[in-house]
Formats: sequence, C-alpha cells, structure tokens
Amino acid sequence: MHDGAISTVFFYLFAASSIALALGVVLGRRLLRSAICLIGVLGSSAGLTLVLGFEFVAGIQVLVFIGGIVVMLLFAIMMTSQGHTFEQQPTLRRRVAGATVAAAFFTVTLSAYLNADFPVPTAEQLAVSHEGADEIGRKLLSNQGDGYIVPFEVISLLLLSALIGGIVIARKHAPEDEESDQDQGLANHPSDVGR
Amino acid sequence: MLHPPTLTHWLALSALLFSIGLYGIFTRRNAVGILLSIELMLNSAVLNLVIFNRFVASGDVDGQVMALFVIAVAAAEAVVALAIFVSFYRHRHTLDVTEANQICHPGNSTP
Repeated sequence: MHDGAISTVFFYLFAASSIALALGVVLGRRLLRSAICLIGVLGSSAGLTLVLGFEFVAGIQVLVFIGGIVVMLLFAIMMTSQGHTFEQQPTLRRRVAGATVAAAFFTVTLSAYLNADFPVPTAEQLAVSHEGADEIGRKLLSNQGDGYIVPFEVISLLLLSALIGGIVIARKHAPEDEESDQDQGLANHPSDVGR
Repeated sequence: MLHPPTLTHWLALSALLFSIGLYGIFTRRNAVGILLSIELMLNSAVLNLVIFNRFVASGDVDGQVMALFVIAVAAAEAVVALAIFVSFYRHRHTLDVTEANQICHPGNSTP
C-alpha cells in the first residue's frame, strides 16, 4: 500500500494516534488504562507497518505483541494489584529528569537523522513489493552466508528457556518451605481472609 | 495538502515514540508500568528496522527478519520479567521499584 495520497493520509492518522496513545501510556495514573493505551499504540504501529507494505510483520506484531505480550501484562496488573491500581503522581524531580533525558535523546537523534545523508530511494526501488512471506521464510531457514538459520534456532532455544525460567521463578514454593507454611497459616486465620 | 512522508518523517516518529518510552521509565515507580514503557521502546525499535528496510534496503528482507527476532526476544523478556514481578509481589506485597533493593528476603534463606 504505497500509492501516494491514501498512504500519506494513513501515515499521519496512525502517527497522530500512536503518539497520543503513547502519551496516554506514560502519563496515565491507572495502570490498566495504560495497558489498554499500549494496545492502541501497538495497533497503530502495525498499521504503520502495513502502510510501509510489510503485511507479514504487521500480522506478527498484532499476534505476538498485542495478543501475547499485552495480554500477559494485563494478567500481571490484575494479579499484583489488590484493588488499588492507582499510582501516585511522580515527584517533580523525577518528571524533570525524565523530560530532560527524553528531550535530549530526541534532539540528538533527530539532528543525527537530519545531518545523515541516507541514499534516496528511487521510485522503482520503492515499488518493490514485499507482500509475501515466502522470501522471509526462505531467508530465515537458509544456511547460506546471508541466511538466518543459526539465530532462528537460538531464538527457539531462548523462548524455551524463558518458558521454563518463568515457570520456575513464579511457581509457589514447596510445602516444606517454612515461609510458605506461615503464609498459609496466616491466610487460614479468620481475621486475615481478606488479605 | 499533506506533505507525503519522507524517511526523516518516519524516523522522527519512531524517535518520538522512543523518547516517550524513556520518559515513562524515568517517571514510573510501578514495575509493570516500567515494563509497559519498555514495550513502547521495543515497538519503536521494530518500527525503525522496518522503516530502514523499506527506504534504504528495499531489495532485501533482512530488516523484516530482524523485526521478527526483536518481537520474539521481547516476548521472552516479558515472560521472565512478569515471573519476577509475581514472585516479588508474593514476598513484598508491592511492586514499587524503589522498594526492590534486596535480592534475598531478610531472615529467609531461599531467594
């Protein structure tokens, strides 16, 4: 989808919505609402990827980022908040520090972008279509010099180890663990049921 | 009416999203809030890779492959971070990162 006017309109639409929702993510005091805003940001980014013409990456972004990561974040927010999902207003010092660092980063990066002379793409280069996953799949699984078979396998191992590590870290301790016994004893006490 | 977006427009958008995430990391105190900002920054990095794939190396698919790798690593990172948060919350009943200054709970030998 890179035919002039329509993609221009969609670019500005998605850019405005993603910036507004990103501000909602960092400025809001309710974590659940921030997570919902993050869904919007990621959806807008998938739209921007679609404007660039990469349908496969946009689909993966919706599936994994929104469908996987944000849903897991929502679970974590609900598991770790006992009714008080508010966060107190950050101190002025933190806000000044954050704004300074963010503005400095943005200024430096933007000036670097403006001073760099990237090769200007010709019209025929921009017309190259990427609307197919077959080339990505071939690149991922090729063992030639420019293939990505080794990182692909390493990623699968990394995901497996993250899965096992997540289960091991987050599981409840064994019953013979002294502290977990105490916790259960406290929870069974009538006055502490609401804890 | 609208100026068609050039490479600099795209890169400025992604840099702006990244700096918003940076601001969030500095101001949030809740650990899940910080993780939300980190996801924002990872998303802008993915966007950057895809933008360069389109405008600078439009004949290749390397940028898209790298974007897929970043997404996979982001998923792994989120899993481990959330497991740590749940474990931390079980011990301390809070997720304030300024409280997270000990690896081991006092008086408890298991981490």
